[in-house]
Amino acid sequence: MAVEKPGLRDRKTFRFPSGYGDNKIVLLVRDPWWIFAYWEIRKEKTDEITRKISDSGDECEKSILRVYDVTGVNFNGHNANSYFDIELKGLASTWYINVSSPDRSWVVDIGVLTKKGNFYLLARSNAVHTPRFGMSDQLDAEWMIPEDEYWKMFGLSGGFGVGKGSLEVREMIKKRFEEQITSGAISSSASFYRKPAARKFWLVVNTELIVYGATEPDAKVTVQGKEITLRPDGTFSLRFALPDGKQVIPVEAASNDGIDHLKITPIVTRKTE
Amino acid sequence: MPKGYLAIVLHAHLPYVRHPEHDDFLEEDWLFEAITETYIPLIKVLDGFVRDGVDYRLTISLSPTLMSMLMDGHLQSKYLKHLDKLIELSEKEIERTKWDERFNKLAEMYHSNFIEARHIFKDVYHSNLVNAFKHFQDAGGLEVITCCATHGFLPLMEVERRIAVRAQVKVAADMYEKIFGRRPLGIWLPECGYNPGDDEILKKEGIKYFFVDTHGVLFGTPRPRFGVFSPYLTKHGVAVFGRDTESSKAVWSAVEGYPGDYNYREFYRDIGFDLDHDYIRPYINADGTRVMTGIKYHRITGITNHKEPYVPEYARDTAANQAGNFMFNRERQIEHLAGQMGDRKPIIVAPYDAELFGHWWYEGPQWIDFLVRKIRYDQDTIALTTPGEYLKKYKKYQVLTPSFSSWGWKGYCEVWLEGSNDWLYRHLHKMTERMVELASTRKHAKGIVQRALNQMARELLLAQSSDWAFIMKTGSHVTYAVERMRAHTENFNELYEDVKNNNLEEDYVKGLEEKNNIFPDIDYSIYSS
Repeated sequence: MAVEKPGLRDRKTFRFPSGYGDNKIVLLVRDPWWIFAYWEIRKEKTDEITRKISDSGDECEKSILRVYDVTGVNFNGHNANSYFDIELKGLASTWYINVSSPDRSWVVDIGVLTKKGNFYLLARSNAVHTPRFGMSDQLDAEWMIPEDEYWKMFGLSGGFGVGKGSLEVREMIKKRFEEQITSGAISSSASFYRKPAARKFWLVVNTELIVYGATEPDAKVTVQGKEITLRPDGTFSLRFALPDGKQVIPVEAASNDGIDHLKITPIVTRKTE
Repeated sequence: MPKGYLAIVLHAHLPYVRHPEHDDFLEEDWLFEAITETYIPLIKVLDGFVRDGVDYRLTISLSPTLMSMLMDGHLQSKYLKHLDKLIELSEKEIERTKWDERFNKLAEMYHSNFIEARHIFKDVYHSNLVNAFKHFQDAGGLEVITCCATHGFLPLMEVERRIAVRAQVKVAADMYEKIFGRRPLGIWLPECGYNPGDDEILKKEGIKYFFVDTHGVLFGTPRPRFGVFSPYLTKHGVAVFGRDTESSKAVWSAVEGYPGDYNYREFYRDIGFDLDHDYIRPYINADGTRVMTGIKYHRITGITNHKEPYVPEYARDTAANQAGNFMFNRERQIEHLAGQMGDRKPIIVAPYDAELFGHWWYEGPQWIDFLVRKIRYDQDTIALTTPGEYLKKYKKYQVLTPSFSSWGWKGYCEVWLEGSNDWLYRHLHKMTERMVELASTRKHAKGIVQRALNQMARELLLAQSSDWAFIMKTGSHVTYAVERMRAHTENFNELYEDVKNNNLEEDYVKGLEEKNNIFPDIDYSIYSS
């Protein structure tokens, strides 16, 4: 935010740009099954491709994301293990892609598919790898234990105790992380630890009592035996939470010279039904 | 000799919120509440251990944004003003509740807590609570570790990843070294967000260990021999500890977790909302919006809207019982494990957000107090340790590549990458790219250009705080989070254009340096490729 000072150049109010003039697509891993893509395509690039397509006597059919499984491959555009297409609708500039398979590598092309079935590339993404969901099958010779023992450790780690079979632990761990109960919901003070009771309808009633009055500004005043401070004009006001029961409230004032004494004692009873 | 170990790890973090342009700023209360309700109560507990000669081990990560705020003079004096108002309010409350002993005792309790907080803050630690944590670390017992510079969520730093992650780690480690006199032993990766390969950067910054959530270890490669009950070494030689599920659930679970006990203080019944508006007005938000004051008179009572008055003695008994229960369960856990680990002793790592203790769970610090003392005096099966201490016990650890993971809801990135906040990354990545571009093409810049580039690094880091995405997801204070992201993006991009066009204005740069003044020693060259 600009500091308002004379002499500073006027700066336009900043709004997030819809793009930065780039021609690119970027992938992020959300979890073992989903990746996220955002992109920005330059108009010149689209025009160029459209021209190319029509020059070749073909026609644009639709804009697509082509999602390549490039696991274990040094991807060159033609050597993916497999791919699938997602048709883009409207003015989308982001997409959550369900790749379904954990522990695989992915690259996504954004481009145009023609009536004749040719694909024209607008931009190619970075490569990402979805994490494996489950235990590794790779065993460490130096740290090997019998299969059963691994499952025991996993069961204990997952908080399922001992004595559970390996299949059972495998299932429980899957379920655990699929439902997830970890603490993300409480990782900043802006969140709420525990939701309050459902407040469908509710009523709270409390009572307070205000004891107020006035006397000579230089008088000495006590309320229930305790001296209070007067305002410069000799008035006073006290506020009390008033519970059920009887309150006897003697207010005593003595003149500055100690000669005059006055006492007034309100009695208040609160009863809740 | 104990059969195994328990490491309690508290992660203390708040986003950098500092607004000298306002006398009273709602989001600054996050810090003030955390100081009064969490940091000072924890300091009191630690001080009690020292006073009573209790041999304890605890680990705390202090995020660089939190430390920067704790060390900031403007926020320090604002906190004292805030606390003085609370003291004044609690004095009024003592008078107001005179006819009802149940509340009057509580008003007295708050009043004396606030007075004591003032003393600890101002007289003992001279308004800088980082001194307190340094003091306990120097005295032994407390292991203070770092966190990323602004709590950036590393798994989503996909563009210029290596440089972006290095900056978050290096700025944090450098700041730690300046304050504590050595490199941090450990780091709390924000939200436990781990992306394989980031360990290499930790290694280069001299960091010895970090944490991942349970599945980060269990789903690691190759298959981990000891579950989460031993650290492992990553390929680059940094140790990784996995979170224990059972001890987490005992505290975190909304259903069965300790903080939900009916004797505990009800967080949501605060006099800021409960009392007559005219009366409470001077102590809530300047515009008259009701906010929490921290004075709360009721206990959870049950799943009902009717709440009974809080009785500190009941709550204390509950905290003691639950500490006993927690210890008992850890002993059983260790006994089960002892036979499974060969000649190794298991370690249970139990990390929690520090602000849970005291702020959300009022009795949390008391629970820690009971727990530490019970473990020390009431049994021999387990002993407390810190990750740094445990790592010295064995020469060899299995080598493991932890799995990409976080401790957020569903275990990966969904909290920080969903409909409400996915738009952030396009801008964050662009800023990173531009930062790297300028840092790489303008090495050894001097004068105003150097200052502008340093400020750009600050603005970028502040924009990267995972808190903004988190707030957008949870839905409260969203306007503020969006505005912060907008302001940092604006500042960054204005500076970027000005540097590129040789058009820098000193007053503009200076204004930003004063406004977003975090990391005074930052050096933009961390971003050069």
